[in-house]
Amino acid sequence: MIEMQHGIDRRNFLGNIGGGLCGIAMAHMLARDGVVSASSSDPALKGGLHHVPKVKRIIQLFMTGGASPMDTFDYKPELERLHGQKLGPTEKPEGFTAMPGPLMKSPFKFKQYGECGRWVSDVFPHKAKWVDEMTFLMAMVSKTNVHGPGTYMMNSGFLLPGFPCMGAWISYALGNLTDNLPTFVVLPDAKGLPYNQRGPFSSGFLPAVHQGTVINATSNTAIPDLFADEQFEFATDSANREGLALLNEVNQSHAEQRINDSRLDARIRSYELAAKMQLSAPEAFDISNESQSTQQAYGLGQNETDDFGRRCLLARRLIERDTRFVQIWSGPQGATGNWDNHGSIPNELPPIARSVDQPIAALIGDLKSRGLFEDTLLIWTTEFGRTPFAQGGEGRDHNGGSFVTWFAGAGVKPGIAHGQSDEWGYKAAEGTTYCYDFHATILHLLGIDHKRLTFRQNGIDRRLTDVHGHVIHEILD
Amino acid sequence: MKCWSFVLLVLLLPSTICADDFFTSKIEPLFRERCFECHSHEYSIEAGLALDSRSGWENGGDSGTALVPGDPESSLLIKKVRWGDSDHQMPPDKKLPAAEIELLEEWVKRGAPDPRKMSSQKSDALDWWSLKPLKPVVIPASDIHPIDAFIHEKLNANDLKPTAIADRRTLIRRLYLDLHGLLPTPEEVNAFVADSDPQAWEKLIDKMLESPHYGERWARHWLDVIHYADSHGCEHDVKRPNAWRFRDYVIARLNADVSWERFVREQLAVDVFYPNEPQLIPALGFIASGPLELSRASTAPVTFDYLDRDDIVTQTMAAFASTTANCARCHTHKFDPITQEDYYSLQAVFAGVGKGDIEYDINAQVLERRLEMESLLTAAASLDSEVLLQSKYDEIVNQWTHDWEITQATPVQWNPLEADVFLASGGATLTKQDDGSIFASGTIADQEQYTFTSEVRLIRFTAIRLDVLRDDRHPEGGPGRAANGNLHLSEVDFHWFPDGEKTPVKLTIAHASADFDQEGWTSSRAIDGDLKTGWAIYPEVNKSHFIVFEFSEPIDTTQEGRLAITLKQLYPPKHVIGRFRVSATDAEGTSTRILPENIQIALQKPEDSRSQADRTLIAAMALKKHARQTLSELPEKAVVYGVSSSWSHAKKLPQPMEPKVVHLLRRGDIDKPIREVSPGTISAISGLPGRFELSNSNQESLRRAALADWLVHRENPLTWRSIVNRVWQYHFRHGICDTPNDFGRMGGEPTHPELLDWLAIWFRDQGQGSLKELHRLILTSDTWKQASILESVSDRCLEVDRDNRLLWRMNRFRLDADSFRDSTLRISGRLDLTVGGEGIEQFVKTAGPQATPVLDYTQFDWNSKTAHRRSIYRVVWRGIPDPFMEALDFPDLALLTPKRNFSVSALQSLTLYNNNFVLHASGWIADRVKSEVPAEQQVERAVQLCWQREPTRTELKSFEAYSTTHGLRALCRVLLNSNEYLFID
Repeated sequence: MIEMQHGIDRRNFLGNIGGGLCGIAMAHMLARDGVVSASSSDPALKGGLHHVPKVKRIIQLFMTGGASPMDTFDYKPELERLHGQKLGPTEKPEGFTAMPGPLMKSPFKFKQYGECGRWVSDVFPHKAKWVDEMTFLMAMVSKTNVHGPGTYMMNSGFLLPGFPCMGAWISYALGNLTDNLPTFVVLPDAKGLPYNQRGPFSSGFLPAVHQGTVINATSNTAIPDLFADEQFEFATDSANREGLALLNEVNQSHAEQRINDSRLDARIRSYELAAKMQLSAPEAFDISNESQSTQQAYGLGQNETDDFGRRCLLARRLIERDTRFVQIWSGPQGATGNWDNHGSIPNELPPIARSVDQPIAALIGDLKSRGLFEDTLLIWTTEFGRTPFAQGGEGRDHNGGSFVTWFAGAGVKPGIAHGQSDEWGYKAAEGTTYCYDFHATILHLLGIDHKRLTFRQNGIDRRLTDVHGHVIHEILD
Repeated sequence: MKCWSFVLLVLLLPSTICADDFFTSKIEPLFRERCFECHSHEYSIEAGLALDSRSGWENGGDSGTALVPGDPESSLLIKKVRWGDSDHQMPPDKKLPAAEIELLEEWVKRGAPDPRKMSSQKSDALDWWSLKPLKPVVIPASDIHPIDAFIHEKLNANDLKPTAIADRRTLIRRLYLDLHGLLPTPEEVNAFVADSDPQAWEKLIDKMLESPHYGERWARHWLDVIHYADSHGCEHDVKRPNAWRFRDYVIARLNADVSWERFVREQLAVDVFYPNEPQLIPALGFIASGPLELSRASTAPVTFDYLDRDDIVTQTMAAFASTTANCARCHTHKFDPITQEDYYSLQAVFAGVGKGDIEYDINAQVLERRLEMESLLTAAASLDSEVLLQSKYDEIVNQWTHDWEITQATPVQWNPLEADVFLASGGATLTKQDDGSIFASGTIADQEQYTFTSEVRLIRFTAIRLDVLRDDRHPEGGPGRAANGNLHLSEVDFHWFPDGEKTPVKLTIAHASADFDQEGWTSSRAIDGDLKTGWAIYPEVNKSHFIVFEFSEPIDTTQEGRLAITLKQLYPPKHVIGRFRVSATDAEGTSTRILPENIQIALQKPEDSRSQADRTLIAAMALKKHARQTLSELPEKAVVYGVSSSWSHAKKLPQPMEPKVVHLLRRGDIDKPIREVSPGTISAISGLPGRFELSNSNQESLRRAALADWLVHRENPLTWRSIVNRVWQYHFRHGICDTPNDFGRMGGEPTHPELLDWLAIWFRDQGQGSLKELHRLILTSDTWKQASILESVSDRCLEVDRDNRLLWRMNRFRLDADSFRDSTLRISGRLDLTVGGEGIEQFVKTAGPQATPVLDYTQFDWNSKTAHRRSIYRVVWRGIPDPFMEALDFPDLALLTPKRNFSVSALQSLTLYNNNFVLHASGWIADRVKSEVPAEQQVERAVQLCWQREPTRTELKSFEAYSTTHGLRALCRVLLNSNEYLFID
């Protein structure tokens, strides 16, 4: 299957390279299972792979470093009562970077918001206004307390590198919604890549076409190699255009002598698509077309929020133009400028929280008012939580025991919360949700049965959800 | 779904169904749901108890009989499911619902009816093609090439016919890409097309196999298979600056055509099998080639150990045996006969090593010399006369004695230094005495440091002598100020300040010797850089002593200057010098050196009256010097990123570790160790034991050697099938079995099992494991030489074998990333064919927020010196891959890649059309063409270079038109993007 030689129906294959109705997984599985002929997808599924989807596109916001739950969304009065008491583990647990200190209350004030009465701390004044739109997973759990593996886990479902991330699986499963833009776009923090560098956007063993297209939102050349660099004077617009026409001519005549090789045709078509992308992409990436008030709403022009706001706005433009999956990262890897607040929660958390708070609130409002919530899912998550115990005074260490994720938009029940952590916020107490359940639920919303989305690699039918995963029906609308 | 069926079951009254049905409808589903994960042949048989057959519970487990039919109260199983006490809790995670416990009680009460037979799964598991022994196969026809005989037989059976042999242009293009990963030049093509020698093809193959570029091409395949990269990958993606030695090792060994058996042995345990060939140590880079999670190594060490070894086991078994042993990490392999115990036994093989920088000698002579000198040092330290008094050393010892006598004939002149500055930073008061010596009084600080500067009134000086003098004013008469009269000179520094220059020169001390050394506090400790060690003189107090420091080079004082001496007296507290004097000499050689008293006495005796003890002492002294000198002159050791027992968790250990204990982990969970396992491998190969019997199981290298022995055993069918299948795949683009890393039930089955076995046996026996012989065999077959282009493809072919698995024609293939890059450089005339050496970085590197740097590939200067080396020499950063290479399916090296992907996308085409590399190369090719031929031939020449053929008239016309308007560079860009360039027929 990987090396498509002669066996795949041409029309279907052309569909897969970015132009068509369905993804490789769909065509492949349908053909292999003999359910339907490989060249047709079931219109009754309305773009889903196994059932009718509620969601067609996704924006995922990923907080690098491990956003603290008990200082943001997971209010723990018990920590106020027990503040300063040494009640935690007496030996350093695997994956902690230091011996746990005494229990530490949140330095921030919590208040209830919205009709649902969600508690939110004062680090998120803007987001707090939207709690009635949000669906919380209050007891997410990671199998690790280490950033690299934790980041892999939340993206690919495995602790080890080399596995395709969710965006790649979705691209593989469903293909694209437009020829004009990449299917899976990644917008890293201007300050740098997350943990594992480009590992979290890798297509792993899936074909490279499914990996995330990494876009530098502040660069003039957003999509790499969309156009030739200016230094090449011979690559004029007309040379480009007429060159593509000439290329088409030679490739056509080459293919005519080599019948029955769909790869040759696919490459011919890929240049046609490339030309389309050259026409459409610059407009999509040009946020100067947005009104001043929109730009202000997203926090553009303000130091703290400009980068994240710009990327949120760009994400909305891409989603609107049918990019299927956009992932926005807050914070680079490293010890500062992200959510890895070992040193001081009161000093380190507020600035990073401020950098995302207004932009996210604006994004929710914008998506909602434009009707995009009809089929768009917004996800806010992180790789793990933080300890209720102090580290070195007023910081918090890594904790895979419990953390918070929220959804907003299509297919989920707004204003509710699923699961809860224990009284300290140290471990999940009920409604424990692993990345497997998280991923299974997202795939479900996209019309995919996570157990049936597989790819055979070195003798194992691999899944995004490994051998686990339950759709969290409680939160589905 | 499961919940519902269970509810239904409960609703049915037990008495309404017959006994066997009761079991089948109620108990078996319950067992399956709740118990099989740990107690079945399908998953795992923990505590020896299997519940997937009647005999399983009848035989019971490690704790005895599982149940007594008819008597729930005496049944262990019932006691366990009731969670009687903390030792009796099954399932261990969560107690069963009361209804299910009642069902089990009911079942036992009824006499435990169980209609099941013995599970047959275990015996079937071995009935699988790849595990069956290799048995000689008869070639179907004797008058043609054996490969063709097998292929044609199968084609005939399917009513298919092979395609005619391809034309010579196609063949040479195919061969160049296949063996060198490079396109041929038009001249090479023409020469071969015109070659009338009947042996032209064979000779061309031989020529290409002898070229070093063969190894470069085929090493890339192996590096893909074993996920070799030049950085760790993961969170802290740090460079491995010495990993490239392994890459060069693979290239060199493939070029040398080392036998496969030896290649396997070297990569797993070269240290055991070939201890006298230190230059092969880089082979151990094999075990270290995968990723390393640095942050996990420090914060989650137990998890790290298991996962790091998991990667090594996965790689080793996939690469050499095409086996997915790692599937048995959490439970016994679902499809293949690999138990969880087998898997953890494989982990135990690697439990004694860690990844890190390993030093090795660059050749056998150096190693031999080093070992001899090290053993001489040991012998000198222990005064081992058997070693020291060997006649082969007589000459060295005599020479040393002779030199000593000469130096003693002229006593050394010591010139006292006149201090112009002297101060004590610890608090003591220093005063100059009438004899020029310095006396310390006042505070006796815990730590003290004297600094002393002086002119040196010699034209040059070679050594400095420090006298520490007895003095009644100090405790016990000194010379130290410690209560017992002792002193500790922790470290001494010398700096030379030439007049008029700001920065001093630090002088290097080659040797220190004293008239007396306290045990453990010898003169050499004052120059070892360690502040906790030093020179001392106890119990020889109340006497003056001296220590001499020889410099490695004489210090020239013709340009005047000042000598600054720092005497550090730091540890233990209060052991400070009481009175001292410093003097200098210009005496040559080692004449200043002070020999221990017992040796001086021995030397003073006439030669024939020296006892054996005297002679041993003298020899020890002479040979120690000789050994040190020799060692310092040996070529430096080289370094490779590999494995050794001196590394653990990415840290170098002070001494080698014992192998770590490996446990069988329930569901792979480090918190649930079941029992310790011993080193071994999979047990499913008949005749090859799965657990190793080692003479010393604590010697970790023997574990690796045992695995290598198991792998290369001539009766191990996996290894021999694995390698011939891989080689076949690289020649034909599909393996005979098309899942080259997995010969298990989840993998593919061979299309030509007889051919695979015949090749495996041929390779092992006639071919003697020579890959080059195997290449020759395959490349001379008509099957390989078939055309891929057909005038028409018959419906029959498409109907029966659309994917061409039976090889009724040759497979067309696209240039891989490396071949595209290298061929393009070759065409441009710029390919730099330098072989080997440190990796080249084709990116701009800046510091990142943490250990991982930031790499910018777009800013790389394509006209720089290293830009045109072959792709195999690129530094491959595991987590930050080159976007250009990635667009052409260069693999993610977090993964084992037995076969590269093929992808097509708009983004790939944009990369090929607009990437800086391609656009630069378009320019280079155009420049080359312009320098070679006049304007009217340039288009033609460009086509010849890129496509190795003449353009047709139509092509020429449209190319000329385009080139006239947009230039030759723009035309070259189109040619490099053409399918004719990217695909080889």
